[in-house]
Amino acid sequence: MLTVKDLRVSVADTEIIKGMSLQIKPGEVHAIMGLNGAGKSTLANTIAGRDDYEVTAGTIEFEGKDLLELDPHERVGEGIFLGFQYPVEIPGVSNLNFMRTALNSVRRYRGEEDMSAAEFMKLVRAKAADLQMDPEMLKRFVNVGFSGGEKKRNEMVQMAILDPKLAVLDETDSGLDIDALKVVANGINAQRRDDTAVLLITHYQRLLDYVQPDVVHVMIDGKIVKTGGKELAIELEEKGYADVA
Amino acid sequence: MPDIVAETYRNQMNELAGTLPGFDDMRAQALAKFAEAGIPSPKSENWRYSDLKRLRENALAPAAAHAAPDLPAPLAEVAARLVFVNGRYDETSSDLGDLWQAASIRPLANHLMANEDRASELRSSDDGISMLNTALVRDGIVLSVPAGVEIEEPIEIIHIMENAGQAAAHTRHLIELGEGASATVFERFVGDEDSYWVNSALQARVAEGGKLHHIRLQEDGPAALHTTSAFVSVGAEGSYDACNISLGGSVARFEVKVRLLVDGANATIDGVALAASGQSHDVLAHVDHRMPNTNSDQIYRTVADARGKSSFQGKVTVAHGAQQVLADQSFKALLLDRTAEANAKPELEIFADDVKCSHGATIGELDDKALFYLTSRGIDPATARQMLVEAFTDEAFLRIKNESLGEAIRARVGDWMQTHAATPGNAA
Repeated sequence: MLTVKDLRVSVADTEIIKGMSLQIKPGEVHAIMGLNGAGKSTLANTIAGRDDYEVTAGTIEFEGKDLLELDPHERVGEGIFLGFQYPVEIPGVSNLNFMRTALNSVRRYRGEEDMSAAEFMKLVRAKAADLQMDPEMLKRFVNVGFSGGEKKRNEMVQMAILDPKLAVLDETDSGLDIDALKVVANGINAQRRDDTAVLLITHYQRLLDYVQPDVVHVMIDGKIVKTGGKELAIELEEKGYADVA
Repeated sequence: MPDIVAETYRNQMNELAGTLPGFDDMRAQALAKFAEAGIPSPKSENWRYSDLKRLRENALAPAAAHAAPDLPAPLAEVAARLVFVNGRYDETSSDLGDLWQAASIRPLANHLMANEDRASELRSSDDGISMLNTALVRDGIVLSVPAGVEIEEPIEIIHIMENAGQAAAHTRHLIELGEGASATVFERFVGDEDSYWVNSALQARVAEGGKLHHIRLQEDGPAALHTTSAFVSVGAEGSYDACNISLGGSVARFEVKVRLLVDGANATIDGVALAASGQSHDVLAHVDHRMPNTNSDQIYRTVADARGKSSFQGKVTVAHGAQQVLADQSFKALLLDRTAEANAKPELEIFADDVKCSHGATIGELDDKALFYLTSRGIDPATARQMLVEAFTDEAFLRIKNESLGEAIRARVGDWMQTHAATPGNAA
């Protein structure tokens, strides 16, 4: 589904990703673990197509398409979703309007009809209930005044509505208490199917107790230094990055 | 200003002799003052952001009468529609509805014919443009809402300019609200591509407990010169709530002065200006708190695209002894391109010590993080930019009470973004 080859990425002329490769197949959950500054978020943002991330070498293919040729919104149309580490507050734009515009944009990209307002409301209410999000929060401005946990829940509702093929979740577990973590993990597990894939980017092993990865990668200084099964995450937690790598 | 300019206007004024009963002397006085003051230049502090170069060099002829104008589509159910074409009241195009039953409504000439002594109420401020309006005013509407009468639907005043290239229209409207009366005056300005000049002034008096809503939608033609003003006084527990939307014109300036004369008088003056390439929008708002316990609030949001300019001068004065005044002013400008320009000049003059007055002004660009967030959800960049601009301007529309008007005006922002600024290539 996703093939990253010999990728090098610079931000403001500083090389952050220094040659990494990665292959994710449908049905798989991969976790990339690493310390702050290892380049994990840079990878997530590069996959999503953020402006300031300059790919200096290598390729990213998604279902056979050259992802780097596509604009961020087109990548979403193709089926990629980025869950933000720090979801952005947008005063003046209601959460509902935001999600509906997003969903219909993606549908139009795929040549589908807009979803009717009634159908959309049904969908969003159901997804919000799954993630135990207060329906009132749908009416509020996007992420404005939301707590850290509420913002992450909101990310998961958006993911559920857009139903991506590949979800790239950047530190989605950070700042969550244990109850919120379980809710978010349920959201991720619900997105896990034979035809979808998830790339979890995380600092800690904690989330992986609830979302069992098929493959774990360790990233240090812009490179993947080790790849293994879920037991690698446990090993990392016990021994620390220095010893495992 | 060459002498010939004042001379030409004097001749124009003489042509108008007798058209407004009891007013000829005031015209002459205003013209004499105009001859001294001349057309304001950007060196004058109040006009520093609006350059009237075209007017300084030449006198503009009075716009000729024009029949069967292109009427803009209605934006809401209205109580009455009063149409002015090239500065003249157009009875055929107007529709008084049932309004005449609830309120007195008549052209300026008829009003002065019945009340010659009231000619002195038509006033000028101390700048040349206002004096010229007094000297050359041809027509206007006088609306008087009796005490206790509440008029629900907006009263629409449309100013249309057609086939008026290098010509001008000077109108003057008077609005009076009796005790406890309420009304919404919805002024619209439209015109063709000609380089006309619309110079319109509105005076309003709100008696105790009266509520005047004043919504202005300025969609003049791209070559138009637009200079308009509103001069409002508000009595005890009365209110004046305005929203000014500037979209059109080449150089467009609106000056509003509100005097809060008695305890408990309130004013809110909001507005949005969207300046595209080559346009200059300028608003000068002055709230004068004459008495204690008077409140005012101003919310202005402006957006300027490449080579567009938007300016806001907001002045709040609090008189000696006017304690317990609350006055707030917020101006935010959004620049969609590095060649766009915004000017903010807040001014506070406070002569009382127990007041709460604040102002804030920010000038910025669209938030890159927010843009990326929206596009990362599949929304294309043009739509994302439009959503952010709509969100940015929305705060200034919140006090528009009439829902249809509010919706129609909000939709103007989206339309503007689509025609002027929605291309990602315009990003700075």
